[in-house]
Amino acid sequence: MRRDKKNKKGKKFGSQNKLTLFQKPEIKFGRSCPLSQKNSPIVDYKNIKLLKRYTSDTGKILPSRITSVSQFKQRELSTAIKRAKVLGLI
Amino acid sequence: MAFYEHTIVGKQDLSDKEVESLISKYSKIIDKSGKILKTEKWGLLNLANKIKKNRKGIFVHFKMESEGKVIREIEKLLSIDVNVIRYLTVKYNKLDLENEYFGVKK
Repeated sequence: MRRDKKNKKGKKFGSQNKLTLFQKPEIKFGRSCPLSQKNSPIVDYKNIKLLKRYTSDTGKILPSRITSVSQFKQRELSTAIKRAKVLGLI
Repeated sequence: MAFYEHTIVGKQDLSDKEVESLISKYSKIIDKSGKILKTEKWGLLNLANKIKKNRKGIFVHFKMESEGKVIREIEKLLSIDVNVIRYLTVKYNKLDLENEYFGVKK
């Protein structure tokens, strides 16, 4: 009986349990969003230290399935990164 | 009266005098019908990519409360201004004034 429950659980996270080439191994699945905790930093286009953590080394925005950021925060993050790019900060 | 954050990127070879005149010119326009809450001089920062052959830029940051008409007028002037290579205006309904991300050199 328990194994069925496990399988059903596995199917639900279909896209996450496939380890993509790009995925950092130490990120657990089903992690809570690091940006929407109580004392998480404010997502702002001036806060380039935070934005740099969510872009790849070539300046591309990391997808939320890898950085496990909530969808609302991912939209905020992407507009902030694009504004920082306009100003040439990133 | 909405809250705006306005950032101006000046050319790298602007002297302090020119930066001061730049700031006073635009703050006079804003003071006509709005009010500047805070101005920040972030100073010389190197840019991620070359903008109009400038590798570094002088950043000036205004936090202000004004109307849309004033912003349109300022942006019209900024696009003509030679010393300014990039500008960005962001509208907020609530401004946080306390945290600064760039070393504000007093």
